[in-house]
Amino acid sequence: MEENFSVEIRSAAGAVVLGLRGDVDGRSSELGRAYDRATREQPEGEVILDFADVEYINSSGIALIVSVLARARAAGRHVVALGLSAHYRQIFEITRLSDFIELRSGPGEGEGAQADGRRPAAAEE
Amino acid sequence: MTAVQPEPRRLLASFTVASREGVERLALRRVSRALPPELLSGEQQERLQTAVAEATMNAIEHGNRGVARVPVQIQVFHSPGEVVVSISDQGGAPAEVKGPEPDLELKLIGEQPPRGWGLFLIRHMVDQMDVTTDGARHTVWLTMRTGAGA
Repeated sequence: MEENFSVEIRSAAGAVVLGLRGDVDGRSSELGRAYDRATREQPEGEVILDFADVEYINSSGIALIVSVLARARAAGRHVVALGLSAHYRQIFEITRLSDFIELRSGPGEGEGAQADGRRPAAAEE
Repeated sequence: MTAVQPEPRRLLASFTVASREGVERLALRRVSRALPPELLSGEQQERLQTAVAEATMNAIEHGNRGVARVPVQIQVFHSPGEVVVSISDQGGAPAEVKGPEPDLELKLIGEQPPRGWGLFLIRHMVDQMDVTTDGARHTVWLTMRTGAGA
């Protein structure tokens, strides 16, 4: 099966944003590499995982998110999940990820949203 | 007086998938297509899809040990009050059944591996999960209640 996952790194309002796209599953190891790259370049501020363009997360993807969360906590960084669907919010609650990751609904609650609710222009890598 | 016979369980779909990483997406789509939309709410469908995907992954990894030519069989049944999906592999009882309950705090400090969420998710997604073994054939049965019983 073809890999269907990519990560876009951007920064917004002092946070590093990992914009995830596609399926977060066992073939999404790019997530860990992107986290390392992004936090090396921006060593302070919260880490936002943007799931707005994610359609599917399975248990292997949850394991990758746990690994990233463990590294962020070890570095003392606050982690936010943005744009999760109601179903995946429920999974974050069941697994207790939501005890350690702040869940925000969309750009209106984070990432330095503009007054009209649109996302600000992202500062690319 | 004539006794009313209970409606029998109706087979809605039966298919196999190869034991290859990623085919669980195909499995959940086929299960979803087999179900008349009025049977389950949107939320129930999403929960069942997640459970089907996880059970299929377990069947591939732990049951059939990733040997592509050994198929996973999936069947979808409907009877009054419930939808049941069965997922069968050829591996007997998989090792993960005996594994510890995942504990996120332990995982975050490295005392448990990050993986091991599959069965945990299945149990929380469906109304009932049963496991049967018949020789090498190992089957996970996923039940979602419909209508007033949901």
